[in-house]
Order: sequence, then C-alpha cells, then structure tokens
Amino acid sequence: MSALSISDAEKAWGDVRALAGVSLTVPTGSLVAVLGPSGCGKTTLLRCVAGLERLDAGRIAVDGRDVAGPRTHVPTHRRRIALVPQEGALFPHLSVADNVGYGLDRATRRSGRIAEVLALVGLDGYGDRMPHQLSGGQQQRVALARALAPRPSLILLDEPFSALDAGLRADLRRDVRAALRADGATAVLVTHDQGEALSLADEVAVMRDGRVVQMGTPTSVYRTPADPWVAAFVGEAVLLPGTAHQGRAQTPIGTAPILPTAADEAPTPVTVLIRPEQLDLTAAHRAAPGAVTATVLRRDFHGHDTLTVVRLADGTELAARSLDGAEHHGPGSEVALKIRDTVLAWPRQRG
Amino acid sequence: MLAATVAVVVALIPLAYLAIRTVEAGWPAIRTELTNPRVADLAARSLALAAVVTAGCVALGVGTAFLVTRTDLPARRLFTILAALPLAVPTYIAAFTWVSTITGFEGFWASALVLTLCSYPYVFLPVAAALHRADPAQEEVSRSLGRGAWTTFTSVTLPQIRPAIAGGALLVALYVLSDFGAVAILRTDTFTRAVFIAFDLGFDRTGALVLSTVLVALTVLLLAGETLSRRRGARYARVGAGARRPHSPARLRALRWPAAAALTAVAALAFGVPAANLARRLAAGVSRPGSLPEIATAAGNSLTVSLGGAALTMLLALPIGLLAARAPGVLANGLERLSYLTHALPGIVIGLSLVFFGINVAYPLYQSVWLLTFAYAALFLPLAVAAVAGAAAQAPPVLEEAARSLGRRPAAVFATVTLPLTLPGIAAGAAMVFLTCMKELPATLLLRPTGMDTLATELWTHTSVAAYAGAAPYAALLVLLSAIPTWVLAARTGLLQQEGDQ
Amino acid sequence: MPISPLKGALALAAATTLALGLTACGGDGESGGVAAGSAPNDKKITVYSGRSETLVKPLLEKFTQQTGIKVETRYANTAQMAAQLLEEGDKSPADVFLAQDAGALGAVNKKALFAALPAETLNKVPQTYRAQDGKWIGVSARARVLTYNPDLVSAAELPKSVFELTDPKWKGKIGVAPTNASFQAFVTAITVQHGEAKAREFLKGLKANEPQIRDGNVPIVEDVDAGKIAVGLVNHYYIGEIAKERGVTPESLKAKLHFFGNGDIGSLVNVAGVGVLNRAAQDADVRSFVDYLLGTEGQKYFAEQTFEYPVVAGVAGPAYVPALNELTAPPVNLNDLDGLQGTIALIKESGLTP
Repeated sequence: MSALSISDAEKAWGDVRALAGVSLTVPTGSLVAVLGPSGCGKTTLLRCVAGLERLDAGRIAVDGRDVAGPRTHVPTHRRRIALVPQEGALFPHLSVADNVGYGLDRATRRSGRIAEVLALVGLDGYGDRMPHQLSGGQQQRVALARALAPRPSLILLDEPFSALDAGLRADLRRDVRAALRADGATAVLVTHDQGEALSLADEVAVMRDGRVVQMGTPTSVYRTPADPWVAAFVGEAVLLPGTAHQGRAQTPIGTAPILPTAADEAPTPVTVLIRPEQLDLTAAHRAAPGAVTATVLRRDFHGHDTLTVVRLADGTELAARSLDGAEHHGPGSEVALKIRDTVLAWPRQRG
Repeated sequence: MLAATVAVVVALIPLAYLAIRTVEAGWPAIRTELTNPRVADLAARSLALAAVVTAGCVALGVGTAFLVTRTDLPARRLFTILAALPLAVPTYIAAFTWVSTITGFEGFWASALVLTLCSYPYVFLPVAAALHRADPAQEEVSRSLGRGAWTTFTSVTLPQIRPAIAGGALLVALYVLSDFGAVAILRTDTFTRAVFIAFDLGFDRTGALVLSTVLVALTVLLLAGETLSRRRGARYARVGAGARRPHSPARLRALRWPAAAALTAVAALAFGVPAANLARRLAAGVSRPGSLPEIATAAGNSLTVSLGGAALTMLLALPIGLLAARAPGVLANGLERLSYLTHALPGIVIGLSLVFFGINVAYPLYQSVWLLTFAYAALFLPLAVAAVAGAAAQAPPVLEEAARSLGRRPAAVFATVTLPLTLPGIAAGAAMVFLTCMKELPATLLLRPTGMDTLATELWTHTSVAAYAGAAPYAALLVLLSAIPTWVLAARTGLLQQEGDQ
Repeated sequence: MPISPLKGALALAAATTLALGLTACGGDGESGGVAAGSAPNDKKITVYSGRSETLVKPLLEKFTQQTGIKVETRYANTAQMAAQLLEEGDKSPADVFLAQDAGALGAVNKKALFAALPAETLNKVPQTYRAQDGKWIGVSARARVLTYNPDLVSAAELPKSVFELTDPKWKGKIGVAPTNASFQAFVTAITVQHGEAKAREFLKGLKANEPQIRDGNVPIVEDVDAGKIAVGLVNHYYIGEIAKERGVTPESLKAKLHFFGNGDIGSLVNVAGVGVLNRAAQDADVRSFVDYLLGTEGQKYFAEQTFEYPVVAGVAGPAYVPALNELTAPPVNLNDLDGLQGTIALIKESGLTP
C-alpha cells in the first residue's frame, strides 16, 4: 500500500494554476523528493497534502484513506502528516523535549519515545535546552525529531536544509535520511536543490508549471530525463543539435550511439544530451586526425574532479568533467573532443 | 472574520449614533454649524496641536528609547520605568497641577507641553521594544561598511522601528484630538473642547454632534496619512535562525551624565510635578477627604470596571488584531482602521451614543456595568488591536501549521502555542487599556450605574466644588494604582531583564 | 470612511443581536441595570443631580434618615445631565432632576418630560422662583455679583451697573466664565430685559476689554482673591465655598462681593431647582423628597452649607451677604431663561467662547 497517493490534483491562485493536475504515489517506507524550480507549485502541493490548503479538484489519499477530494477535506490535525518547515519552526517557549513531545499523548510521552527520537537525530541529552540555545542545524534536527515522534503516516520536509551552510547541510542530509530509515518513516521532501534530491531520495518527482513531468529513481531521472528541460534541471547538460540516423547521432563534435536505439530509416533532426562526464578531452596535437577541436576557456577545480569549459570554432561552449589525475589542459590550450558512451536524443521540431 | 466584524460593529455604535443624529438635525442646521468660520479655526488648531504633540512625543519617545536601549546610560532600567510612568497620570491631573504650580500657564503651547509629557510613553514603549528586538547584526554591517552611528541609525535602524513609531504616533495624535481634560484646564480651544462647550452652552446636542462628525472626518484624514506611511514601510523581520545577540551599547562618554540629567528632568516634569503638587495638596486643605471606606469603595469600583473594560476590549480586539496580522488584506486592514475611527471622539459623545444604544436597543443593560464596559471597548479598541496585532507577530502562522500537523486540534494549538506566545503582548495591551479606563471620566459619568463612584468620578466631584484637598487622595490613589500596570508595560519592552538572562 | 445612516442602522442592529445574546446568557433579565429602578411608593427614588455630590449628598443622607426613603443618585454637571435626560426621554430611570439653574429645567421641560407638581408644593415658593406651568420649582436662589479685590479696585471705583464693565478702564481686569451656565442665564436675562441688541453690544464690549476667561466661577474667585484679577462676574456663594475649603470665614478672604442693586441685571437672581419626571408623577416618595427640600431643614441646609438663599419664607440666608429681599433684584421671569439657543449664538458670535 502506498502511504500517499495524489491523483489529478488542481489548485489555482486567481489566474495562476499552481497545480495543474498532479499525480504522485509515495510507497510506504520510502523517501520521495519533489524537485522543481521556485514557482513550480511544489510548496502548494505540500500545503495541500498537509491540509493547509484546499484542492480545487483531484484526490489525495493517505494510507489508503481519502483526506482530500471533491467532498472531503480532512483537517490538518487528523491527517497524521507531520510537517518540518523551512526553518524548523520550533516552539520558542517550549524546551527541546517539550517540542518533541508536542504531538504525543501523555502515555507515549513517558514511554521514552522522546529520548529515542532525539537519539535518532543525534541530540541525546539535549532535552532540557531551549530552542534559542541551539544552532540552526540542531534546530532542524529537533524539528525532524518532533515530526518523527508521533510515528505519522507521512513526514513532509519543506526545504529543510536551505537555511544551512554547505558543510552542515551534507551532514544533516545524511543523518536525516538515516533517522528516517531507522524509524521506518515515509517522507516527502520538497526542494529546488537537485543535488539534495538525487542524493537523498529513493524516488524523485520533477515538477514544472504545476505538473509532475517525470518520476523515477535518481539514476533514471539523471540518465534518461524525459526532455531537455529536465535534463538541464537535474544536472549539468550539454545540449547539441544533431541528426539521428540508424541508431547513431551525428553532432557537431562527432557521432555516438543513441539510447534507446531508434529504428528510424530517414535522418531525423534531434537534440542530443551529453553529460560533461561523457566528454573526453585530449591535447589537440595528440588527437587523431579529423577530430573536432576546441579552445579551453577556463577550468573549475573541485578536488575530486575538474570541470573544463571549452569553446568550439563556431562559438558553442561546452563543459567536460574529468576525474582527478586526468590530463590537465590550461586556459587557451587547444583540445580535441570525443564522446564516450551512448547519448540521449529527442526529436527536434523543424524550424 | 465574523468575530472581527462583530467587534468592529461594537466600536461603530458611536458612529451610527452620530450619523442618525446628524441626519435628524437636517441640512440647514448642519450648514449653519459648518459654515461658521470658527469650525475651520478649531480644525486648524486641533490639527496643529495634534501635530506638535505628536512630533514632540516622537522626538522624546524615540530619543529616550534610543538612550535606554543602545547606550551605556547609567541606571537604564530605572529610566525605562520612569519613561513609562507618565501614562499613570491623567492629563486633567497633570494640567491642573501645572496650572497651580505656574501662574498664567495656559494656551496652545502649555497644552502642547502637558499633552506631550503625558503621552510620550505611547511612542516610547513600542519603540523601545522594537529597538530591543532589532537585529544588531544589521547595524554592525552598516558600521563595517563605513557608515557613522547617525547614518546607521537613520538608514538601517529607523526603517526597522518605523512601524512602531507610526503606531505610537497615531495613538498620540488620536488621543490629542479626543482629549478634553488638559485643553479645558489650559484653555486651548480645540474641537473636543468646543464639543463639550456646545453641550454646556444650553444643551446644544446638535451643534456638539455635528462638530463630532467633523472630528471623525479629521480622524479619517489622519488614518489615511498613517496608512500611506505604512505602505511605504515594508515588513522587516530578522532573517535566519539562531539566538539573538545583545546589542553592544554605544559609549556616550562626556554626554553620559548630561543625558541622564536630561531624562531625569523629563521624568521630573512629567511625573514629578503632578506628584509633588498632589502631595502638597494632601498636606494642605481641610475639606473632608472622604472617609476611608468611601475611598476604598471608589478604588474597588475603579478596579472592577477597568478590569471589566480591559477584558471586554481585549476580547473584541483579539479577532481584529489576529486577522490584521494573519490575513493582511484590504478587508482585514479596513476593519482594523475602522476600529480607530471612534478613538478621537470625545468621551461624552461615546457616552451619549451608548445612552442612546442602551435606552433604545439594550435597555436591560442600561446603567449597568456592562454598558460602561461597552463604552470603554468602543473608546479604547485601537489600543488593544495594536497590541494584539503586535503580539500575533510573535507567533508566526508556520508554528501553528507545524503544531496542527502533529495532530493537535485547532483549539489545543491555540491554547498550547498561539496563546503562550502572544499572551505577554496581549497582557501589555490589557494593561494599557486598563490604565486608560482608570483615567476615563466623561463616558464614566454618563454610563456608570446610579450611585456608583469611581476614583475618577470622585476626583471630578471634589474638584468641581474647589475641594482640592478632598480630591487629592483620590488623585493620588488613581495615579498610584495606574502606576502598577505601567510596570507591566515597561517590562514588556524586555529592558527590565538582567543582562545575560535567557 | 463615512458611513451612511442605513449602514449605521444595520450595524446597530447587528450590535443589538450581540448585546441581546449577551444578556440572554445573563439570565432572568429583570436583574439587569435599570429594571431595578424605583416603582412608586417603594421607599426608593432615583435622583439625577446636576449639582455636586459634595454639596448634595449630606442633605440626601439626612432625608433618608428621616423618611426611610432610599435615594439613588447620579451626579454629573447640569448641562450633561440635561443632555442625558433628553437622550433617555421617557425611558429615563430618573424620578427627579435636581438642576443647578432654571434654564436646564426649562430645557428638559420643553420636551414634556416633567409632571405637574401639586399646588400645595408650588405655593410654598414665590411665583418668581418656579415654572409658570407648575412643572419645576426652585429650591434655592443665587445672585449674580461682581467679586473684587480691594487691593486692586477701591469700593468707590466699582461700577453702578454691570454695563459699565465695557468701559475701557476695565481692560484686562475682568474675570469671566462664558461657558458657565450661570453666565449664560445672565446673558439670556439681558436679552429678556433689554433686548438682543443690548446683549450683543454688552458682549462685544466685554470681549473688546480682553477679559480673563476662566472655565468656571471658582477659578475666578480664587484669582481675584490672589490678586491676579481685579474683578469677576460670579455667583454670590463661591466665597462661602472657598472659605469653607480653606477653613476660614468668608469675611477673611481678600475677595469681596459687590451687588449692583437697583434692579440692575447684573444682580440677577436665579434658582437651583427640581422637576419630577413623568414616570414618578404619582410617587409619594418623590413628593416627600420635594417637600423635604422645601422644608425648614432643607432650606437651612442650603443657607448654611452651600451659602445659597432659601426660597421659602422664614429661613434666614447666609450671614456674609445681604438678605435676598434687600437685593432689589431685576424683575426677570425665570421661565424665560430656557430660550438659550439665541444666547449661545450671541456668546459664540461675540468670540468669548470657541
């Protein structure tokens, strides 16, 4: 059974259609990320699921029970959906333990559940502190513990890491996922950060203009995006015009096999997706004759890898990623390009 | 929304009454009243007085607030309390003590001085609280970017506290328009005084009520002005999480003691003059100061009706204030603004309107404590609404949403989250209303149950027959009892806590 | 935003619903504020007093002691009390209106709120001091006087007529309380006796003399006594009140009284009096209250405690002023003093009040 199932959800704010028919299923025990740029409707979706807004049309069911529909609107407090808002929203007048115990009945509060979830989020012994005595990251952990404590059907995380600095964010992400797993919780994470979505979630739902445009595992969303927009949104993408013919794509920088293989006989104009890690660079003088060459514009060194931006003769700029230890090309040097692996291509509208 | 509308309706009873009576009076009577050149004269003088007093209160209030929150002024907590204390002195007592201290103390500037000294806490309290809450980091950034202390104050701090200043200034301006006590004693011809005189001059209700209608029009002007300034001032909030750090005080150096002396002087003028004068009068005259039980009964009655008034006013203010803070929009703002309309009306008009309401509509309530508390609510709703709206900001909606998502029913969420967070602000509002009810006279005289005396009415009884010594104990007790809630208000600024307290 | 009468009425209706809802929760309705007022002959009466509590309360207490009739009293100044009575109309819980001057009684009487008094009550008081239609009656009298400070003005320089005060030699020296009911009654009396033109001329002359405007009579007498003002237009009894407050005799005050005499309008004699509201027309308790005020004890009280003139024959007036019948007061009919609207227009027009 799925913990959450949304079908054809619609919600408009005046003329703006925030949700234009969203359907989404979250299996019990999984963590699903709703990924999209700001304004795509993901926060509205979250608020509708939480019962803070009413749907215009469509249905939402939690644990198989309808909570929102044409004639149903279960109020927030009876949905068993716990919220983790952006900055935690801890109750400033309650201690950490009281915050965590807020959603528990009296018996459960004394059962040790508070200490248990505090331990899960790595805040053993912080129960007596007041929220203002905690750092931003600790506040978020408490907010998560508070949401976990009543064992809700679903936990909704609303950009919970956006207010934190990068170092804290990575740790916290890992710990949050661990805590959610350890407790067997089901969660929906709303975010505009693709790195966050891909690294944390079991499944990613990409939203655009009030619709889910693609849903799948992080790998499939990254490797086989539904369209060029998704491709560019979930990761760095080199998008080139090309022609598909007999399973191969012809591009300005050479040819490569297309995935999946199309059985087209006549050459078709396509848009070709190449991820930067699919581009190999070699020094121009060592390249095979006839290879396409480009000029290095700059190098961004990231430690584990390096992103090299090059410019083709026709002015097109491309990025190539190489692992540490690979050959170095300084700005201004001439390199030859080669596509590794199969590429993705979508038919292009003529004109 | 419904509850807020009901609350506003209560506040609008006086306006409905005015409308009915003005229409009854008919056009010729209205025209005669309005075309009189003195109306323009009075309007100009009333507005000028309101402007001067408001400017004075802003200067004094913001200055004092700055000194006690941002500098190394000695005895800052003491000065915080001293700056709140003038609220405990009714303007009629202050004016009277000034007149009897300085011969020939009267006229426009005398009224302006006394009203400023009595009302600057309306600006001081919210501004001090806002300064105390403001994020020091923003000011530090400004200083680090090479801006001086003054530029930083005007370009960074001032915009943050502008809503607090505007709110306080509005209350002062409305109060000045409605004040009768001080301008009567100091012989300054304002609109409100003309309204009272119209009643005294042969029971000229029509004239008085037409004038009051003009007063309402002036209030609309003021409110429009304030709304404009509000629109320009966006919402300012602290960004990011984490604990608030205390401000590091600016060093006054050579100015430290002169500043302290200046604040002492203001306190002496605002509170010392009335207190000293009352003490002298207590010691002098021989008129029967009223037996002890009578004083105790009057004090008891004052406390009862003021508590009742504060309770009812807060009850009505809660929906409006919460609505204005939570669901800002044309309707909510309109409702909030409407509640201010009656605030500039003289107490006697509010009183008569509730006499009308009581006689014609709610006869069983007539001359009961209920109707009196209704009058207080109609008079002082804006004070309470401002407090509730401010308090609601302490409990942002996201907290309630989080709480509801954890499975608590809305009522439980209100009790466990909203109320504890807003209660201090609501208590401060209640203290302010309570204090103002204690001092109210004209409406109390008209609406109190027959035979019931309060401190204010006893004070009036005695001063109207020149029995000043007899009046003194009532005045002293009134000031003393009113001083207690000012403590609550001073504490609300957050400045009374020990430094380093959590 | 100005609201239309219709909207106002709607608002009122909504508020009513709320208010009634509140009272309905309160229970039996009969226990509310006014309903507990006085039924006829229940040994309880409700008095609206436009006179000060300090002056009136001891007298009312004596009345209750003697008759066992409880008195519920509201206090406010006479004008505001009259405004309240007019607003309340026939639903007023008041049985008796005790007013400071004949004009206020006349104004309430004009709206037909008073019941006729019995002949035996009316006959106790000279016709001069009661309503022609018998609906109100004076209980004490007060004379207009000129108070003066002998250090600033010698007795010889004092004017023979109040109209001489418009002479430029009094510039800046006169204390006036133009908002005070007694002053207004006095202006009305000028109109009644000498015509509107004369009244207008007097007020204009007075204003031209830059008088010292005060809120009431007490500050005028105090300032004259303190030597801040030379002369002032007041009532005769303030000297007594101020002396009592200071614990001294009226004679020991610096401020002295000057009666114009000779029928000059400056020595107008006005009354404080009572009217009985319609609802109490048949109430014997109310009748005994009125009779008490006009009885020896009541009259003596006014003479000794409030320093006014008794209006019933046989009771002596205060000692520090000449007797009422020696004043040669002007022959003005007090019934004519309710026409205040014209007076107010005159006073406003003169610029003495805002």
